[in-house]
Amino acid sequence: MVRFLAGKGVQYALVLLFAVTLNFMLPRMMPGSPLVFLAGEDVGFLSEAQRTELLRSLGLDQPLWRQYVQYLGNLATGNLGYSFQKGRPISEIIVERLPWTLLLVGLALLAATLIGVVWGTLVAWRRGSAFDLGSLGISMFFESTPSFWLGMIFIAVFAARLRWFPIFGAQTPGVSLAGWAMVANTAWHLALPLATLTLITIPGNFLIMRYSMLTVLGEQYIATAKAKGLAERTVIYRHAMRNALLPMATVVMLNLGFIASGATVIETVFSYPGVGRLLYEAVLNRDYPVIQATFFILTVSVIAANVLADLLYPLIDPRVRHAR
Amino acid sequence: MRTVAILAMILIAVLATIPAAGLAQTGAVRIAIRRDEGSLNPYTYQSGYPGWNIMTLVYDPLFYPDANNEPIPWLVRDVKVSTDGRTWTLTLHPNVRWHDGRPLTSEDVKFTFEYVQKVTHSRWTPTTRNLDGIEAPNPQTVVFRLKAPDAGFRLRTLADVPILPKHIWESVTTVAAARAFNNTVGSGPFRVEEVRAGQFYRLSAYPQYFAGPVKVRELVLPIVRDATVSFTAVQAGEVDLSERPLNPELVAQFERQPGIKVVRGPGFASTLLQFNLEHPLLRDLRLRRAIANAVNTNLMVKLLTLGYAVVGSPGYIHPASPFYASGLKFEASKAKAVAILNEAGYRDRNNDGVRETPEGTPLRFTLLAQAENPLRIRGAELVRTWLKDIGIAIDVRVADDASVIDLVWPDFDVCKGRRFDLSMFGWSAPVMTRPTALVDLFHSSCQIGTINIGGYKNAQIDRLGEQLVVTVDSNRQKQIAAQMQKIVAEDLPVHVLYYQDVIMAYRAAAHDKWVFQKGQGVLTKLSFVDPPKR
Amino acid sequence: MSTVTATAESAPVRVRPRRRRLGVVGVVGLALLILLVGSAIFAPWIAPYNPEESSGNPFAAPSRLHPLGTNDIGQDILSELIYGTRISLAIGFLAAIVAISIGTLIGTVAGYFGGWVDAVLMRAVDVVLVIPFLPLMILIAAYVGPSFWNIILVIGLLVWARPARVLRSQVLSLKSLDYIDAARALGAPASRILRLHVLPGVLSLSLAQFILAASNAILIEASLSFLGLGDPTAKSWGSILYYAQVRSAFLTGAWLWWVLPPGLLITLAVLGFAFTGFALEEVLNPRLRGMS
Repeated sequence: MVRFLAGKGVQYALVLLFAVTLNFMLPRMMPGSPLVFLAGEDVGFLSEAQRTELLRSLGLDQPLWRQYVQYLGNLATGNLGYSFQKGRPISEIIVERLPWTLLLVGLALLAATLIGVVWGTLVAWRRGSAFDLGSLGISMFFESTPSFWLGMIFIAVFAARLRWFPIFGAQTPGVSLAGWAMVANTAWHLALPLATLTLITIPGNFLIMRYSMLTVLGEQYIATAKAKGLAERTVIYRHAMRNALLPMATVVMLNLGFIASGATVIETVFSYPGVGRLLYEAVLNRDYPVIQATFFILTVSVIAANVLADLLYPLIDPRVRHAR
Repeated sequence: MRTVAILAMILIAVLATIPAAGLAQTGAVRIAIRRDEGSLNPYTYQSGYPGWNIMTLVYDPLFYPDANNEPIPWLVRDVKVSTDGRTWTLTLHPNVRWHDGRPLTSEDVKFTFEYVQKVTHSRWTPTTRNLDGIEAPNPQTVVFRLKAPDAGFRLRTLADVPILPKHIWESVTTVAAARAFNNTVGSGPFRVEEVRAGQFYRLSAYPQYFAGPVKVRELVLPIVRDATVSFTAVQAGEVDLSERPLNPELVAQFERQPGIKVVRGPGFASTLLQFNLEHPLLRDLRLRRAIANAVNTNLMVKLLTLGYAVVGSPGYIHPASPFYASGLKFEASKAKAVAILNEAGYRDRNNDGVRETPEGTPLRFTLLAQAENPLRIRGAELVRTWLKDIGIAIDVRVADDASVIDLVWPDFDVCKGRRFDLSMFGWSAPVMTRPTALVDLFHSSCQIGTINIGGYKNAQIDRLGEQLVVTVDSNRQKQIAAQMQKIVAEDLPVHVLYYQDVIMAYRAAAHDKWVFQKGQGVLTKLSFVDPPKR
Repeated sequence: MSTVTATAESAPVRVRPRRRRLGVVGVVGLALLILLVGSAIFAPWIAPYNPEESSGNPFAAPSRLHPLGTNDIGQDILSELIYGTRISLAIGFLAAIVAISIGTLIGTVAGYFGGWVDAVLMRAVDVVLVIPFLPLMILIAAYVGPSFWNIILVIGLLVWARPARVLRSQVLSLKSLDYIDAARALGAPASRILRLHVLPGVLSLSLAQFILAASNAILIEASLSFLGLGDPTAKSWGSILYYAQVRSAFLTGAWLWWVLPPGLLITLAVLGFAFTGFALEEVLNPRLRGMS
């Protein structure tokens, strides 16, 4: 167990180092000058000395390796850097954005997992029925649909045409709300992005649950339970579903890792102020420090989820614990 | 199955109770803006438009451009210019107060101009280079001494630099500190109440504003990055105005919709086919002339902008601008293009559909277009189609804005040269309104022609330009500008395609006193407050 | 449970339905693919117009002349879609070729040689699998710039890890087969064993992986194009959607004929590839067969 975890530790450290290095190199290799984003549109009127001074004051005139060392040092001390464009520390920006992403993706995963589990279980029990085949068809359809397209259709129909839901944002801007009104307003803005993200996340969960359930149902003890004359409900929920949930647990854990990244497209379509959208905007604006920090945070969250899954899995599945 | 049904019912029940919650109205005017503008002070706002326009709702410059882009006195009550044009004596309005209640005096003005000279600001450090000294003999009087007379002093310096409160900014001494400084105490008609980064700004009217009552109680500025989304929001009533000019395809629909008004006027932002005049082939005027003749700007305006644009004037200046030299026209003709090419000896010698120079170099060019600007990409595709018809091959290369800049205008410094053949390009409205625009655009010295990205050289233009920058009399300015436009129209250093009209749609119920600033739109201080009386 | 891989969308796992022969799923998938490949090949004969030509007024609604209306510069949308099949499928196929070439090479080498080679290569695979996929894609796409070949390269370079892993385990099980064992014992050179014995056993599975990678690639290309990181001058379905979006199609009625059809085509193509891939994978992968 210890050796296993140590090995995993090395692996994750490698991932982190790779991400951090890539993270540092890529934005700097991008064509284009960061000056316009530092100094605004009129940078063409600056004198050479003024440009140099601007770059120097921001540390961008240093040799690459020194910038890199500085970058690593900052990360190690939890300093994510400073956004020149926004004129603010990045940790502050991320702290603002992260809750929205957590809310959106957390709820989507919760909903998608619940629906996927229940649906997968029911379908597996009626394997081969019209319900099963229909469910397979529908889930494959949503699995194959571009998420941004689904989001666009939702906006076109439910927001622009029917006006049931708002078109952008996480809350009505400029309105101070508190208590229930705030919750309701937030939920109202969340509805469409949440629905989209949930719809495209369900099929994966559904298919795994169905598959896992089918495997369990084929095993001896289920047949025994059935033979003992236990009620169908008891067999499904007490015996089959509990065991089928094991692989599901891993999947959910690993899905957690994408909590901060999977919703990039959805956040963009719905102008939802999350971390994924922050990354996208930063890439478009060439806001180097924000690109780095956001990508770093996303990678760390993926790794954290993986570590969590590795630690929890043996606890959930006794077979794994004994095997190691 | 039952579980699913129950879950679904709960979901529907929750969602059904929600919509009412979002419809809270506060009477604020909501304007969708495209991006974060920092904390909205002069060192943190980001963009020339709409950033400067919004920032100057919070801060006041000494002058301010009116609906015709003429700078009118704002914080200033009286102006005296010496006969040599080098000494400007300004008298300030007496009752101007900062948002924190302190009086605004000539000390603040002197401090501000010295500050932007010292603490580099990309927009104002260069425009204050000509300042020799500033004095504040008494609290109401400021005297500016210039090294040389300056045609653009009133518009680009006095009407552009917002006055900073000395008592707040004197402790902020470095660029880095200034860019991180979040204080927004200004003297403008609005105070910043709330900044929700990435989401919105909330401003409220400043009740003690010196120029009189502010016509809007509260402004909410939600950040909506996507243009289409901002228009959708106007249509659905989620915002009252989008800061962006309306897409042409939506004009008819918005005009039909009750509750929405559409205003339209000339736009001073240009769309250009930029030549690299240092390119060994493109430096040949005949070739540029042929290309310009093959590009059907009338059809382009019809296809790309549905007619909501003015076809480009070959002298660059928009016909609606006071500097426009009337009578300049370019009649494109494909037949003429072919004739010019044939006559110049550019023929297709190997029958591959592409003409070659007499030396055998094929007329094949790369045309750059910015990925962020779909209209320009479409324009580039049209140019490619039309040039193919006359035997010139074009590869359209789309890259993001920063990459295109890197090739066309590396480091925003024309002294660093250029690495392109042809590019779709364009300048924003201020490049049209300032009197020295033609000098910036076409002077051959990269120190003076700071945006001469094509590397154009013409001694006559240089001479006229040097004259223009020191001319303060506006009639004389117009004469010189007209002469320059005639030369540019002959030389075609750039092919001006069109100027897209500025069309803005707003919900009249929230606010109906919008003032349309020619060439730019309704996002001006004048939409919220009348100019100060003398 | 093997490590789960991320696909372009957030749903991270593909699970194979259990069938022994190609089955209904495979047939449907193949039929879809044949239909799409057919229209790509015969585009000039099927499409009513040259999609590069402004054959009508901009923003025209559907009519007898233009069954799906026209786009923002008067090009026939139906013709765009038909020609778009070419670009979208080409990107899918080419990106998949890149991915599978890398994946097969790495998977085979790792599986066959084992030891530290395996350890190093699989670490690399793990690194690629764990890194947040779409953000990385956006990052790289923004860096290399939008062009047809760049998009292919970017997608190819990022989806090779899953095939590599699958193929490695296939090689592992092949390696333990008697005749390969015998060949190794007889001292046949590795290159020869790989060429004659291992590769043929792996190739069929590569095919299934290839098709799955292609479906992934089509979806990714559409997402990148939509985000404005694709090649806007190549008429792929994704870039058609991009223009529909920037020219306000979902504010006007145009979304019905400008947004719906390209999205449905993407879905159909992905479904076609996925169905075919799953069906093939089951037929070809002995390990999966053993499980049902």
